[in-house]
Amino acid sequence: MLGKVVLKIIAFACVLSGLNVLYNVTFFEKDFRTISPHILKLQQTCENTDVYYFGESSNTTFRGDDSVKTSISDLTALFYPGLRFVNVNKEATHAGIYRFWLRSLQGHDTLPKAVVITLNLRSFDAAWRHSKLETPLQESLVMGSPLPNLVNRFLLSLQAFDNKTEKQREEEMLNEWKTTLLKFPFGFKYKTVREWDDAMANGGHKKPDGSWDNEKSVLACHYIKGYAFNLDTNNRRVRDFDDISKWCEAHHVKLYLNLMAENLQYADSLVGKELVFLMRQNRDFLVKRYTTKNCVVIDNLEAVPGHDFIDQNWTTEHYGFRGRMTIAAKVAEALKKQFINEYKKAY
Amino acid sequence: MLFNSLQFLFFLPLVLAAYYALPFRYRWILIFFASCFFYMAFVPRYILILFVIILIDYVSGLAMERTADRPKKMWLLFSLSSNILLLCFFKYFGFINHNAELISSWMGFQFKPLHLDIILPIGLSFHTFQSMSYTIEVYRGRQKAERHLGYFANYVLFFPQMVAGPIERYETLGNELRSKKKINYLNLSNGFKLVLFGLMVKMCIADNAAPFVNQVYEKPLEFSSMEVLAAVFLFSFQIYADFFGYSTIALGCALMLGIRIMDNFKTPYLSRSITEFWTRWHISLSTWFRDYLYIPLGGNKVKLPRWSLNIMIVFMVSGLWHGANWTFVIWGALHGLLRVLEHWFNKLTGFKMKEGWGLLNVFLALKTFVLTSLIWVFFRATNFKNAADIFRAIKNNWSYQTASISFYPAFFFVLLLIAFDLWHYNSRFELRLNRLAWPLRWSIYSVLLFCLMALAGTQKFTFIYFQF
Repeated sequence: MLGKVVLKIIAFACVLSGLNVLYNVTFFEKDFRTISPHILKLQQTCENTDVYYFGESSNTTFRGDDSVKTSISDLTALFYPGLRFVNVNKEATHAGIYRFWLRSLQGHDTLPKAVVITLNLRSFDAAWRHSKLETPLQESLVMGSPLPNLVNRFLLSLQAFDNKTEKQREEEMLNEWKTTLLKFPFGFKYKTVREWDDAMANGGHKKPDGSWDNEKSVLACHYIKGYAFNLDTNNRRVRDFDDISKWCEAHHVKLYLNLMAENLQYADSLVGKELVFLMRQNRDFLVKRYTTKNCVVIDNLEAVPGHDFIDQNWTTEHYGFRGRMTIAAKVAEALKKQFINEYKKAY
Repeated sequence: MLFNSLQFLFFLPLVLAAYYALPFRYRWILIFFASCFFYMAFVPRYILILFVIILIDYVSGLAMERTADRPKKMWLLFSLSSNILLLCFFKYFGFINHNAELISSWMGFQFKPLHLDIILPIGLSFHTFQSMSYTIEVYRGRQKAERHLGYFANYVLFFPQMVAGPIERYETLGNELRSKKKINYLNLSNGFKLVLFGLMVKMCIADNAAPFVNQVYEKPLEFSSMEVLAAVFLFSFQIYADFFGYSTIALGCALMLGIRIMDNFKTPYLSRSITEFWTRWHISLSTWFRDYLYIPLGGNKVKLPRWSLNIMIVFMVSGLWHGANWTFVIWGALHGLLRVLEHWFNKLTGFKMKEGWGLLNVFLALKTFVLTSLIWVFFRATNFKNAADIFRAIKNNWSYQTASISFYPAFFFVLLLIAFDLWHYNSRFELRLNRLAWPLRWSIYSVLLFCLMALAGTQKFTFIYFQF
């Protein structure tokens, strides 16, 4: 019986291989285009690209009254008319996704010379790491895994990826806010995000007439939840960036980490100097960790003044035209060392 | 754990390997822990409810065998009421509360409903019914009480059928679990084919139909009559594919362990009457209600009006068994009504169904399908308004337009399912398959495998019957 079973297993494997070929020539491209359009774009453009810009909503969100609606990546490209810039953009993306995008380039004969990757401080926080958007993001990666395409498609049907429910993710986020201790080199009365947030939600901001200022208090709570954390190597995103950095080094691709601007003015006025301290401390951690021979951290954390942020009542990295111009100019400046001959002052 | 999950694709071969590697006397332990592990993948703490059911019915079974007359009856009542109370608490608490609130406000009383955040344990209706059948049979003296707690626990917990049936009797499953099984190529091979076919049916047909059906049922008035009709008919196939797929996988898994469980479906949409439909759809539940409700109510040994009432009671209770909502009761009542009308019509006209697939039988099968599909609306709708909106959209939004959402891939698979049903009508899929020459057989495997791996729905939907 064992021989019979082994024979059938071999026959089954042969059938599977044949079906994989059939899938590759029939439905694969359509599925790939629908499910993982970004990976497809990368694979199609890899050999004709000098610089990739990996971004999220910060790159392509415009203010209604912006006279010029040009993304940060396109503004950067203006400085290098001779270089082939390709922008790969998806909302709410983070290092875990960028890492996968980069890996999908493996195996190509020519790789880009440089990659500019958005480094968003909030993408390290619990709310982003346990966001409900994480499931569709993870789903978009399945088709790009190195397994045979038919197997990838089957895994997608089985939802065999980090496919937690919204409720599960929310529980993880709340738990982290409740249990992770905040570390300050000075005395501070709140030990966790939860405590700090509760205090703000209950004490909060008052209007000049002494009444409760709901809008300001809610925004202050968002700032606390978005930026109150201590970065260290236990953070999953840090490990993702470590992988990205290693991959780039191994493949001789220069890495530029574009640390996005945050509204420190608001953080200071709404929450206080303790939050600003944490934001700066986390920035310093990232700059120190990733400033290496092969990697440049473009520190834009305090590059955009508060009024140039589009969302005045939410925590985002969405900038008006002036803000985008400032950041693009700084990215272009950083790239200059590598592409000095191609650089042309754009504005 | 879901059958259509990566975990299960690892879990099953591991259990199989361990099962056949272990000496027979230890296998019940493996089945017990594997079943617990399988169930605990959903909500771990709910396994305790199952343990309570198992203990109550195990003790009741033993006690009934040692007692007679009144004490015996008391033990049966204790067992049945415990099971029903558990079911009522977890499944019908909200429903009873809500209705009490409505009735009291209608009567002018002030009733403050108690709000408990209860999640229905997966498959509770199946466990309780399966376990109750055991105590009833022991009470009737047709079944000896099981002395081995482990075997009895496995009867309630057996992982292939624990969450959505088939609702087995102790006489069959209990004995199957107790009998020594040797590894058998034919069982493994047939079981594997059934698992493959079941997965294909669930993941290609049900999961491809679900997004379209869900969208239409969410806001039916926004769709054209053609789209709503398509959703209504597609839901008939979705629920069939979903439940038949589950049952087929369950059958296949059990068969790979050398254990035979009953067929729950026999090509139901090829039924020529509602009466026949209920001999082909969810057979294990129909026979449960026949044996433990219909016959005790008098069965067909009563006068026609009383018989009609009995049928209505059985179908309405069956509807309520499915879900704690009046829509399910109406769904059951409509089936009961049609069943009664069919009976009266046949009696008055002397009409008798002929065998074979003549034009009349094709027409009758189509009629039955259309009727069951329309009645499914009450089963699928979230409430009466939703059901009314479906019919309103069919009546008022008359248009041939079908462009807003694509449902063609699902219809392609529906045609494939109909073809399979016609092919294995009154037979079994794996038996029909084994009669074919190997090139044709392997071609069918290839088609199934390709459909499953390349064309299955990309969103995962849990089995519909898990909620019952």
